[in-house]
Amino acid sequence: MARGDISVRVRDLHLEYDVFSERRAGLAKRFSTGSGSGRRVVHALKGVSFDVRQGESVGILGSNGSGKSTLFLALAGLLPPTRGEILVRSEPKLLGVGAALMPAASGLRNIRLGCLALGMPADELDEVIEDIVAFTELGEAIERPLKTYSSGMRARLHFAIATAVRPDILLVDEALAVGDKAFRNRSRERIESMLASAGTLMLVSHSMTELSRLCRRGIWLEKGVLRADGPIDDVIELYEATGAADTADA
Amino acid sequence: MAVSDVSAAQTPEGLRPLTATVSARQYLRDIWARRDFTFALPFEELRSSHLDTFLGNVWHLGNPLLSAGVYYLVFAHILNVDRGIDNYIVWLVIGVFAYHLTSSSILGGAKSIDNRQGLMRSFRFPRAIIPISNTIGHLLTFGFQLLVVVLVALGSGVGPSRRWLALPLVLLLHTMLNLGGSFVAARLNDAFRDVEQLIPFVLRLLQYTSGVMFSVDRVLAGDNVWAQRLITLNPIVAILDAYRWMILGNPMRPGALVVAVVESVALLVFGFRFFRAAEHSYGKP
Repeated sequence: MARGDISVRVRDLHLEYDVFSERRAGLAKRFSTGSGSGRRVVHALKGVSFDVRQGESVGILGSNGSGKSTLFLALAGLLPPTRGEILVRSEPKLLGVGAALMPAASGLRNIRLGCLALGMPADELDEVIEDIVAFTELGEAIERPLKTYSSGMRARLHFAIATAVRPDILLVDEALAVGDKAFRNRSRERIESMLASAGTLMLVSHSMTELSRLCRRGIWLEKGVLRADGPIDDVIELYEATGAADTADA
Repeated sequence: MAVSDVSAAQTPEGLRPLTATVSARQYLRDIWARRDFTFALPFEELRSSHLDTFLGNVWHLGNPLLSAGVYYLVFAHILNVDRGIDNYIVWLVIGVFAYHLTSSSILGGAKSIDNRQGLMRSFRFPRAIIPISNTIGHLLTFGFQLLVVVLVALGSGVGPSRRWLALPLVLLLHTMLNLGGSFVAARLNDAFRDVEQLIPFVLRLLQYTSGVMFSVDRVLAGDNVWAQRLITLNPIVAILDAYRWMILGNPMRPGALVVAVVESVALLVFGFRFFRAAEHSYGKP
């Protein structure tokens, strides 16, 4: 367990799933042939391979629909590979606790719920909750219902909960550039201290500034295929040269 | 779905496969490890469900109390019927609330996978937690309804009894049936969303044949031996009878109760295995 050891190994990863489309065949055809129900197979990842080492921070680039989010769902263990394999040193955690939270409940109640959703045992909660509350710097707003929060306040709460469990491998599929400048600095410090203690960060972002600031390595996905893998600035340059970045909110 | 640190084979570099199918035993252990979350989810939902009302948590009790009030008004004063049953209002309220626990658990179970898509796309946990926490949620609501049943019973002159001590056993039996049904409904509805449209009709048919609002023995079966046997096979009839025996001291058919126990355990075991067999398909985009 040291810096430089492989923490995630992805080999020939394929991911397919069914979706229903709007166009469907008539009922008679649906029953007679069993097809035409509108099910269509989406081939989101087509043989992706890479290794990520401990202490490494990897930015994932690619236009919309290139398979970035699917890759993260697979890495988080939420979508089993159709083919290929994912090997990990410890379970990667996706920074995204929003789904577990309840708008009508207070920030404090939601911290509890978010920690439990991340798999924390109830008897360890009390001390962790104190840290999270302090980190969010939400003050007495922590007692207010979540639905009264501004988007910045909510993002602070999400980040504080998700990073409180101190995962060894953190997957971030949303902007880290949230909240005011002071909070941005503190979240960056937290990420950096995680990387310093041989953690691994993988970040999906459309912001080239954020990618080049937080990551040293870049992986470019396009239509489910790995297009480039190397130092972040080189990959960004390559990505932008194709014009793909024109549409992105860089 | 969750991978254990012990069972998964490690590579020389100390890596292990991320998604591996775990044994039933490990799966149950993973569920147990997540028990705090399983309870917190429906509990927080219940707690925050009436937060935006003036009376707030009073509604948990107010709701079933008003339901019971309406039944009392309609059946005892407007229609003036007792269908030949002693203490009909208490008898009816027990039947309605207890049947509602089963129907809402199963319908809720069917919808639960779809309702928790977001959760499943953010966190790893044994998916069985979703129908389980759905069942717990409805059980919490039923707790308040039971309190109303007791209030109505005491108000109508039924005294406390030692039979009330049987409540945990009756609840256990009832919950096994509801959970088993939820597991089956959850997987069926995840595979075919059409199922959710059919379930309400099945549940309504079941309601009229389970002795919720009238005695099935007298109205449906009469002297027909085969109809009597069929009724004995319906576990809900036996469960409602058990509640009524507890509160009102009505007679119970021991044979039917044994059948209900066997059926509930069988449904739970089958439902759990049936649900788990599709573990990896829940929550796919």
